[in-house]
Amino acid sequence: MDSELIQQIRNQARDLLESGTVKGVIGYERASDGLTARPAFVYELAAVERLIFDETCTHNLVIYLRDKKAEKMAIVVKPCDSRAINLLLNEKQIKRETLFIIGVTCPGVVETSWNYKGQTLQARCQTCQLSKPLVYDFLVGHEPVEWPKAVPYLNVQEMENKSIAARRDFWLGQFERCIRCYACRQVCPGCYCPECFVEQLDPLWVGIRIAPKENELWQIMRAFHLAGRCIGCDECERVCPVDIPLSLLNQKLEKKVKELFDFQAGLSPEEQPPLATFKKEEKLGFEE
Amino acid sequence: MVLENPFIPYLATLKSAVQLTPDVKLLRIQLESPAVKASFDYKPGQFALLSAFGEGEAPFGIVSLPRRSDGLEFAVRRIGTVTRALHELELGDVLGVRGPFGNYFPLEDYTGKNIVIIGGGIGMAPLRPVINKILEQRDDYGNLLIINGARTPQDLVFAPEFKIWMEAPRTKLQLTVDRGDESWGERVALVPDVVKEVAPSPDNAIAITCGPPIMIHYTLAVLRELGFKDNQIVTTLEAKMKCGLGKCARCNVGDKYVCQDGPVFTLEQISQFLEQP
Amino acid sequence: MRWLDQLLQERILLAPVRVEGLILFQPVSKVEEVALDFGNTTFSPKEWFLPPTETLFSMQRNDGQPQLVPSMVEKDVVIFGLRSCDAKGIALMDGPFLREPADTLYQERRTRTSLIGLSCRQAQPECFCTSVGSAPNDSSHVDILLTEIEDGYIVQVITDKGKALLPQALVESEEALPPPPELQAVPTKQVTQAVREFFNNPYWGRLADRCLHCNICAYVCPTCYCFDVRDYSNKGSLERVRSWDSCQSAGFTRIAGGYERRATKGARLRQRFSHKLLYFPEEFHDIACVGCGRCVKSCPVNIDIREVMSDLEQLEAKSGS
Repeated sequence: MDSELIQQIRNQARDLLESGTVKGVIGYERASDGLTARPAFVYELAAVERLIFDETCTHNLVIYLRDKKAEKMAIVVKPCDSRAINLLLNEKQIKRETLFIIGVTCPGVVETSWNYKGQTLQARCQTCQLSKPLVYDFLVGHEPVEWPKAVPYLNVQEMENKSIAARRDFWLGQFERCIRCYACRQVCPGCYCPECFVEQLDPLWVGIRIAPKENELWQIMRAFHLAGRCIGCDECERVCPVDIPLSLLNQKLEKKVKELFDFQAGLSPEEQPPLATFKKEEKLGFEE
Repeated sequence: MVLENPFIPYLATLKSAVQLTPDVKLLRIQLESPAVKASFDYKPGQFALLSAFGEGEAPFGIVSLPRRSDGLEFAVRRIGTVTRALHELELGDVLGVRGPFGNYFPLEDYTGKNIVIIGGGIGMAPLRPVINKILEQRDDYGNLLIINGARTPQDLVFAPEFKIWMEAPRTKLQLTVDRGDESWGERVALVPDVVKEVAPSPDNAIAITCGPPIMIHYTLAVLRELGFKDNQIVTTLEAKMKCGLGKCARCNVGDKYVCQDGPVFTLEQISQFLEQP
Repeated sequence: MRWLDQLLQERILLAPVRVEGLILFQPVSKVEEVALDFGNTTFSPKEWFLPPTETLFSMQRNDGQPQLVPSMVEKDVVIFGLRSCDAKGIALMDGPFLREPADTLYQERRTRTSLIGLSCRQAQPECFCTSVGSAPNDSSHVDILLTEIEDGYIVQVITDKGKALLPQALVESEEALPPPPELQAVPTKQVTQAVREFFNNPYWGRLADRCLHCNICAYVCPTCYCFDVRDYSNKGSLERVRSWDSCQSAGFTRIAGGYERRATKGARLRQRFSHKLLYFPEEFHDIACVGCGRCVKSCPVNIDIREVMSDLEQLEAKSGS
């Protein structure tokens, strides 16, 4: 554990709370297993000592900003999380002036679950192109260390090499296990619709049946709603209680968007997401 | 009589539909099975779950008195998918009924007391059979004060019955609306404010209120201010319901299930667990 | 275990099976499919009494007259390999489901299912069954209890239903039952009182800050049983379906028109704990938690019921009641 880094975070938190600049600080604290981390909300000075940062801090805390719009909050943000901030700024879901962003030069996080800490960096860290957050008010941590990054989308390519029938069998098999807990949706910074399409009664797009056909519809539609918007935090895959490889599905669409439009979400707060932008000179693919 | 599978409704047909306000209809339905009809006994306060087959099921207070009407009457406000489907039923169409569910107003305990009825909007629906029951046995009860509010004069649900209510002995009717029109000559005020103004005495009285949650919230506060004890204040609550059998764990207010322990509650029973609106 | 093959003849045998990285109760057709070396299954066996999705009834029209056709429960079932905590979970669910008017689909499944339990020789880090009225070798809620020993299993026949499952010859054993593993203690004596007393305490809003309001805790829990009901119609025929739901989901208490009784995150999170620790015990005299620890293991943001119970006890102690 990097105690200097943690001290920096705590000092910032203390200053911000003492001066009344923020109502609270969203960061990380030790979980009940004494080993991994969990999100922390610190509103009082006495609680600042709970804040930590280490390789188990996998959670994307940006999702909590959606419920805290009324107050100014400080938030601890890793480079991948900062892409989520850009996404929400771009989509007008949060206001920059309500945030104090404590950016962390993150050396990567490992796979964790309750009472378990992995030894190798998560797949998304191995392919991560960012060494420090894209947006922050205060930066903590050491000078970012460059380490050899893995080639992105290798797992997607591996799947693309399989036949359509094999791919379909694979995914339908995965979706069969889905129990529609919607944890993937709840933990995703890009899923913020006040009424998700699965909750709509009229028209009834999916309904409440927990069964393969409905599961398939849920999974595929959510993936498409995130096309060009997923920032690759992979939290959906971590939280899934039945181990569906969700990030593989989302990455396929991200790879496609990158190939077609040379675009990745969350790199700037002012971007023009290709699936939400119309240009007169667009190629529509059927003229000429 | 309970069917084997308690989720299966009795079948009923729509006998009449009267438009009471722009969005409220009085539906009268008749149970198809004579055996079910004979054993479907209910008291004011109880409710039934009506199925618009294909659309869904929702709870509605039974607004008729048994033996006083040919069938079961419900005042249904058109506000969602099930209520829209119920409004669109034609005479003779089949719908489902499960019930009677819930507890009822213990009117036997109120004999000799002064009754204050405070209703807002469609909240008047479960209160109507209470009023009618009291009028049926008028000498058994003390003074009757009815405070009835709605958004506009057109939204006063049981307007056609006001004359009967007003002409009953020792009975007063105070009307109010949020927004009046040119022909409206009565109060323009919110229901809790009217309760404050009229200031009914808590002596030997029971206050029964029903309406939008925000109206209930403020009315309960006013009644307490006027000196009504928590066991003198009665309300009947709406809740999202799915099973009506105390099994889907959805409709509770604290430790009380609206479908089993309610919908009629004294404030004493639920005050600790009432959420702030 | 050859005995299980025999049971398969006329019944559906549900047993723990490895599926990808999970251990799930699934129908097996061969004894070899059964997993025996596991802590606990990923999901409790409650799905075999209250399925994630089932049709309550369907509607058909005969000569234009609608007829309601209830669903049927098919075969006799044996669930093999469930832990004592899960068996207690099923017994707790009997409370609301068998209470008048009984849920006939649940009742039918319950009557036709036999339970063969498997004692725990080891506790998992998340287990705390002994703090909530159960034990690793509790035989109260199963028909047969197996305890693994070095060269086989000790078989305890608990009920007549269990007796009916056994083949004729069983060796009487003088062997003593091995002691159960030691478990951590979680303070639970005051929780019911504490939930009532601290119902309006800001503790719940603070705890809910990190809650995602996904449905994971409710779905993995052996005693959570909230469900949703919806009609599905297709060209004149109708199915009324019920599916798992959870008090955490947004809109759980929202009625047409928009009013929502439990609108805030804190109110929704509090509901789960108040239901388990206060409302359920008030009616059924037992808290609705069997100490299996699945919610502790699966919650993505580490909302730990043991921590909540301990926090509540501390609030109670501080208030000096």
